[in-house]
Amino acid sequence: MIDVLNHLAYGFGIAFTPLNILYGFLGCLVGTLIGVLPGIGPAGGMALLLPLTYGKDPVSAIILLAGIYYGAMYGGSTTSVLLNVPGEAASVVTCLDGHQMARKGLAGPALAIAAVGSFIAGTIGVVLLMFIGPPLAQFALKFGPAETFALMVFGLSMVTSLAGLSLRKGLVALILGLMMATIGVDLPTGYIRFTFGISKLMEGFDIIVVAIGLFAVSEILISSEQLSAGEYVREKLTRIWISIKDFRDSLGAILRGTLVGFFIGVLPGAAHVTASFLSYSLEKKFSKHPERFGQGEIRGVAAPESANNSAACGALIPLLTMGLPASAVTAVLYGALLMVGVRPSPFLFQKHPDVVWGLIASMYLGNIMLLILNLPLVGVWVRILSTPPRWLFPIVLAVSFVGVYGVAHAPLDLVIAALLGLLGYFLRKYDYPLAPIILGLVLGDGLEQSLRQALMISGGSLSIFYRSWIAITLFVCAAGVMVIPKIIYRGDGPGEVET
Amino acid sequence: MTKEERIIALIILVVGAVYLGTALSMTSMSIGDPLGHKAYPIMLGGALIVLGLALLIKPEKQSGPALSGKNIITILILTCLLAGYGWTLDWTGYPLGTFLFLVITVRLLGEKKWPLNLALSAAISLVIYLLFTRLLDLMLPLGVLGRFIG
Repeated sequence: MIDVLNHLAYGFGIAFTPLNILYGFLGCLVGTLIGVLPGIGPAGGMALLLPLTYGKDPVSAIILLAGIYYGAMYGGSTTSVLLNVPGEAASVVTCLDGHQMARKGLAGPALAIAAVGSFIAGTIGVVLLMFIGPPLAQFALKFGPAETFALMVFGLSMVTSLAGLSLRKGLVALILGLMMATIGVDLPTGYIRFTFGISKLMEGFDIIVVAIGLFAVSEILISSEQLSAGEYVREKLTRIWISIKDFRDSLGAILRGTLVGFFIGVLPGAAHVTASFLSYSLEKKFSKHPERFGQGEIRGVAAPESANNSAACGALIPLLTMGLPASAVTAVLYGALLMVGVRPSPFLFQKHPDVVWGLIASMYLGNIMLLILNLPLVGVWVRILSTPPRWLFPIVLAVSFVGVYGVAHAPLDLVIAALLGLLGYFLRKYDYPLAPIILGLVLGDGLEQSLRQALMISGGSLSIFYRSWIAITLFVCAAGVMVIPKIIYRGDGPGEVET
Repeated sequence: MTKEERIIALIILVVGAVYLGTALSMTSMSIGDPLGHKAYPIMLGGALIVLGLALLIKPEKQSGPALSGKNIITILILTCLLAGYGWTLDWTGYPLGTFLFLVITVRLLGEKKWPLNLALSAAISLVIYLLFTRLLDLMLPLGVLGRFIG
């Protein structure tokens, strides 16, 4: 305890030099800018701005990058709320209720609760990272392919069972996402699957292309349809700021989201996505009014946004304690550390305490800066919504296309995004939820590979799945979430999520 | 409504069948990998077929509004505009392509004043282009304009 506090004081000493404070601020600012632009998520943004760290000393470089990371995560929620355009897979969940709030004139409170939730979750996440990081990393080491497979099954079934009115339609959406994930080269064998002779499909579908197509383009298509039919109504902004009641309502959701997010974040795999989806589903499941979710429920914004941020802290644990990057973002951080001459390994805490504790201390700093930076901006962002829709929609499409084009500089990606938008339009019209498609696409590859690896280890015997108590627990939970809503609601469904 | 739901179920069934057929026709090779690259897709294809059949036999009640012919045409035109804008982007370049896309789409969505439309579209496409290429150092195509500028 005293030890940790000593180290933290040491870290603050490093992070609180004027130069490092400046780097932290710059990182947060640029990160927010990047995050607000649709299509560029934290990992992409960090990779893009990696050259900014050239020639800086390791601590400053990492502080700058970490700032970009939080900034981008926060900025991503802004476009989700205002325009229903997710910056990355994890902010897809924020669209569900955040954008509904914006449609009701409550964009300000939605953005503010996202900022406050992120701040609280980020701060608690850093504390958890310091104290229970190392023992937790040991537990995560127990996760072999069988446990990882079970965890993914649990995450997928949770989201699917709560995604829409109909379990069958949710499952169809999930399987479509999983199928999309199988397109392209199968890495273990090198076999090319489902490309139908189109060479572009060899590398598979990029998540950004699909997220923008399915969510952003289809959203604009639906809104344009309403606009040209004279049905598009936009509520007047009722208020910009959150009320005490909003805050009291969301505090539980923020704290639960923080815990869920942190522990999921530690586990390898698509940490942020699973964390934000799972915390949203849990919040809906244990709510007294699950029917309000998807209609602009403030808890539906608070929980995933908090989970997202504390997952970011959790994801640092495998990187800092074992030298294992477990997500796209930490992989970029890993690369950045290598670039500045620091090799992440189990000895990182001993060999480079200045980097580790400087980073942890800078996270406190970054959280405070983001709150200060973003709260005044809420009013600015919200004004974007008062642009006339006939101008706003085409501009959003043009800007989204920059993000899609940036993925691979391939015009075909843009055509794919347009066609996926049309697909998303029809799916929405017939109440097929979109969220399971995205989650299926993101987790599909990991799901298949962990299944195959597990069976390779066991020589084809399924016993590997029921010999592990972690896997069994997760499978039981997965079955539970699929069956229980049916029993409780007697076929009425757990309430609709407008995706 | 049920009829439309059944048509969708039929499409799902066809997608499942095509996917399963493709999966089954893949050559199998599994060395030390009991599942290989074939088994998992076969499971997915099978599952989608089962779901498609279930939805075909006992359709879900539809709660959303039905599609109308006029709306569909607007949607299709918009999708084609967007796809065409994307497809030609390397040739037209981002500033010119975006300008054309904005002018047509904004008009389609109800902007009546041509001078305003042309001026604002030109300004917006240029601002987006400069913002991304100059400020954030992203690469966007200049297309045919590149020949004139350099």
